[in-house]
Amino acid sequence: MDLARVDAILEGRGSEPFDVMEVLQDIQEEFRYLPEDAMRQTAEILQVPLIEVFRLANFYKAFSLKPRGRHLITVCTGTACHVQGARKLGDQVLGQLKVGPGETTQDGAFTVETVNCVGACALAPVVIIDGEYYDHMTPKKLRKLISRIRKVDAQEEETRTNA
Amino acid sequence: MPEMVTLAIDEQEVEVEEGTNVLAAALGAGICIPNLCYLPGLKPTGACRVCIVEVEKNGRTKMTASCTLEAKDGMVIHAHSENVLRARRNIVELLVAEAPESEVLQVLAERIEVEDVRYPERDNDCILCGRCVTACAEIAATGAKGSIGRGMNRHIGLPFYNEEYCQKCYECRERCPMEIAPQSRRDPCGVCGSELSKNEDLIPEMCGDCELD
Repeated sequence: MDLARVDAILEGRGSEPFDVMEVLQDIQEEFRYLPEDAMRQTAEILQVPLIEVFRLANFYKAFSLKPRGRHLITVCTGTACHVQGARKLGDQVLGQLKVGPGETTQDGAFTVETVNCVGACALAPVVIIDGEYYDHMTPKKLRKLISRIRKVDAQEEETRTNA
Repeated sequence: MPEMVTLAIDEQEVEVEEGTNVLAAALGAGICIPNLCYLPGLKPTGACRVCIVEVEKNGRTKMTASCTLEAKDGMVIHAHSENVLRARRNIVELLVAEAPESEVLQVLAERIEVEDVRYPERDNDCILCGRCVTACAEIAATGAKGSIGRGMNRHIGLPFYNEEYCQKCYECRERCPMEIAPQSRRDPCGVCGSELSKNEDLIPEMCGDCELD
């Protein structure tokens, strides 16, 4: 864990106790999860009890205490999406990636999560991949989408090793 | 000189310093309001709701926890109206159902005349009253404990569930309603600390059985 990166984040933000949420959000974005040491550092610098930081990290679904994959796939399971077959989408993605809900694939590429509603019911069923919303999803479209991301990843990896 | 405010609790005039909460005002005047999560002198949390009272305003009443209610001039409080007693019995009933093993809750239930627990027993060992959290933050000044998670999954714990953060002073355990046996403590119901048990005219139906001295 690179504590210097945490310090850089803390530097850029305010140092009042009420800045803790923003700092945590930045850390989440930087590391894709909240490492224990980062939370300790945050508590110390912002002068908030460690339990307060831990409590917030546990409370909000946006924070993860376990490392997340490079790509985050969020399947909406709200009422509209459920009616339009969100379960089939979930089965598809979980089966394809061989993980359970909330888990990360072994190669660290994907994390799959379900969420109760993303407020885009007219577009149901909705899947969000890395912040991008995909509407009227079908298991077939989803499978292709994941394969494509895999392919792009592999290509990037290749150019990186060649370079 | 701190400002004084006068309020009426159960038709009795009570004068207290500004900023006092209604529960403390009542207890100080010998009016017993049963309470559980309140630790005298410390910051009230209003978690257990046992100390609910009715506040009368413009002919209407509103129920609220008295420990988190600041006494204001001219306030009219009913601590033992039919509504309050019924609601309080229900609250304690729920607490007992949550943690049937707690002797303190049993005594409290008996005192306010809960006849029967109609809710399924949950067999928890914690009712999330938060006394331990207050004790840890304010008495031990450690501030290690806190509630983690949300909704059904909320529980009390240490950061990263790591025992190392606990300085093992056990101030929390001293105050846990699950750990205290009523015989060993003077204040199972949070102590009224009042003269009430000696004065049966005050609120006999509530604390008639109260043997506290």
